[in-house]
Amino acid sequence: MFSQTSYLYDNSNILDKVIKNVGGLGAEVLERKPDFTRVFVSRDKLVDVIKELMKLENVYLRTMTASDEREVNGFFKLYYVFGVDSLHHTIIVEIPLSENSPSAPTLIDIVKAVDWYEKEAHDLMGIDFEGRKLHKFVLPDDWPDKVYPLRKEYGIEDLKKLYKPVFEYAKKVEAEAAVIIPIGPYHPALHEPEYFELYVRGERVVDARYVGFMVHRGIEKLGENMKYDQVPFLAERICGICGFVHSTSYCQAIENALKIDVPERAHFIRSIILEIERIHSHLLWLGVALHLLGYDTGFMHAWRIREQVMVLAELLTGSRKTYGINIVGGVRRDIDENKIRKCLNVLDNVEKEFKTFIDVALSVPQVKSRLRDTGLLPKGEAQKLSLVGPTARGSGVPRDVRKDYPYAAYKHVSFDVIVYSEGDNMARTLVRVDEVFESIDIVRQLLDKIPKGPIAVENWDAEPYKIGIGSVEAPRGEVIHFLITGRYSPYRWRVRAPTYQNLPAVPIMLRDSELADAPITIASIDPCFSCTDRALVIEINRGSIKEVPLFVISNKFRFGV
Amino acid sequence: MVKFVKIIPIALKVGTVTRKYPFERPLITESFRGAIEVDPVKCTGCGACTRICPPKALSLIREGETLILRYFVGKCIFCGMCADICPEKAIAITKEFELASENLSELNVDVEHELKKCVKCGATFVSTKLLNKVRSQVEALPDDIAELCPNCRRLEILKRFTGGR
Ligand code: SF4
Ligand code: SF4
Repeated sequence: MFSQTSYLYDNSNILDKVIKNVGGLGAEVLERKPDFTRVFVSRDKLVDVIKELMKLENVYLRTMTASDEREVNGFFKLYYVFGVDSLHHTIIVEIPLSENSPSAPTLIDIVKAVDWYEKEAHDLMGIDFEGRKLHKFVLPDDWPDKVYPLRKEYGIEDLKKLYKPVFEYAKKVEAEAAVIIPIGPYHPALHEPEYFELYVRGERVVDARYVGFMVHRGIEKLGENMKYDQVPFLAERICGICGFVHSTSYCQAIENALKIDVPERAHFIRSIILEIERIHSHLLWLGVALHLLGYDTGFMHAWRIREQVMVLAELLTGSRKTYGINIVGGVRRDIDENKIRKCLNVLDNVEKEFKTFIDVALSVPQVKSRLRDTGLLPKGEAQKLSLVGPTARGSGVPRDVRKDYPYAAYKHVSFDVIVYSEGDNMARTLVRVDEVFESIDIVRQLLDKIPKGPIAVENWDAEPYKIGIGSVEAPRGEVIHFLITGRYSPYRWRVRAPTYQNLPAVPIMLRDSELADAPITIASIDPCFSCTDRALVIEINRGSIKEVPLFVISNKFRFGV
Repeated sequence: MVKFVKIIPIALKVGTVTRKYPFERPLITESFRGAIEVDPVKCTGCGACTRICPPKALSLIREGETLILRYFVGKCIFCGMCADICPEKAIAITKEFELASENLSELNVDVEHELKKCVKCGATFVSTKLLNKVRSQVEALPDDIAELCPNCRRLEILKRFTGGR
């Protein structure tokens, strides 16, 4: 007992010291709360300040946002959000950039995880990073130069006018029938377009490269043009499997910014649905993983068990997937005694069936040998890349937003953060398997303790230019929404999904592995596999290039086929 | 016995679980939210639902002297926000979800309202029903003012205040 308090004491002392040092370096502390510090730094001091912050143990980059605040205070701004897990503390570093030529020093050498964030800020907001040459990243290659869509001078209509590639071209060359295929803002269900280039020598992967953002849906811009209460429904459609985490994060961000007091009962209902979402998402992943390993029987059973959870979700919310019950200030649907009883029955059954099934599935020799010691991710890399969710927990990093930065009703329940240290595909699988049981237990506790009372705040007022963060432990890892409020709509809304954080780890897992293990390794971070997924297999010795769907690679090595 | 063979008795026990939808009835729980239905008698054409609808599946369209509340089910996400917000409780959430059609126009449902003309300038400005409703609730509203469009109303009130100057 004593040792634990002194440990906490020491650590917050370290935090105090670091914050004081940061102040000595010319940073201004804007706000200091037990769980939260905001510091303001000029651009030339940024590198020193970040270096100082990185001295903290377990610090990681949670998200970074560029924001166009020229009409408010005359500059662009960058917000770096860091988390210190063991201290449950969030540090936001804000730097202003000149409105004419916004540029900041790059942090890539100090914080490895900043890579994509800088690229994206350059692409969508036109921020330059000294010392980095950045190319088109999110935007398509045929996007006009120097048009930065997230800047406030462009409305959605202006941007639509700018987009006319294929159809216009088809008319120009007088193609007979040009078809417009509408894409987004919907999520293509299970599959998501991603693209991996695998460099192989014989059957071994030498290196890998990832190209993404084939379907950037402009959701952040869209949200900035919708009313506060409409955005949760858009947010929920960011992911086709775990959408509730997004609407919850969005609502939390606003509630946090505007200090809205959400009723306890609403917190409980949100947590219950979040855990149910984790259960069905993990069961889905297990099914897909077993399918990729050629064990289709397992796939069928995993999904059969999952189906009961989907029906349960519909019973509790009114919809199987996009639940649509989150609104700013609470939830829209209550849970009554009858539903609680049914819920408990379903959970009992799922637990029983899943236990028997997973026991069998993981004892299939081919499944075992394919998972063990493949797709290795060392703990050091996981820390450096600021990874989240089962990907981090499979490599021994005990990061879990539910414990580290408690929200909703998680402080009222006890549960374990599942950690495995092997860093292989098996470790990531076992994290998810154990978490299914953990989640079932959490829902039981929540249903048992759910307090009486209202489920939403009736009225609240929006005050513009307040900052809020909402973060939720999604099945794939931390989801974090950064929000600056406006009068009727968010002024700036920044969404960071877990796959964004975790994907850069995949090339590391793939390096020097068997080609046959590539599909399960890529799937092991649970990136929502793709209907258009293509793997370019480049045979270095012969110089041949083949384009093969990943599932063909996995089929080729199926047992018994 | 090798452990993984144990899947066979499990499979035998559960049997076939796939439903032969659409030949068998789909499972819908009592909470399910489907398409909406607007009651033309209760609806006053106030437009509150069109302002909350996240995907803009509901819209108010002016066509000559009619005001149309159009519901395009093709965009509807079955959220039910419109039903929550409607002051007349004119919107019901149904359990319908099998809505495919080969004809796009079948996906539109219109509720028509007669528009009131401003007695002064002749511009249409509000549905007759909504105006009647407001008049039944706000007793202090003089008849001659109520029948003016917002613009003419402003001018008229200004005139009265300034004594016609
Ligand atoms: S909110 Fe209700 S009364 Fe108003 S237009 Fe919509 S359906 Fe009609
Ligand atoms: S149910 Fe939702 S999406 Fe459909 S019309 Fe009503 S508000 Fe719009």
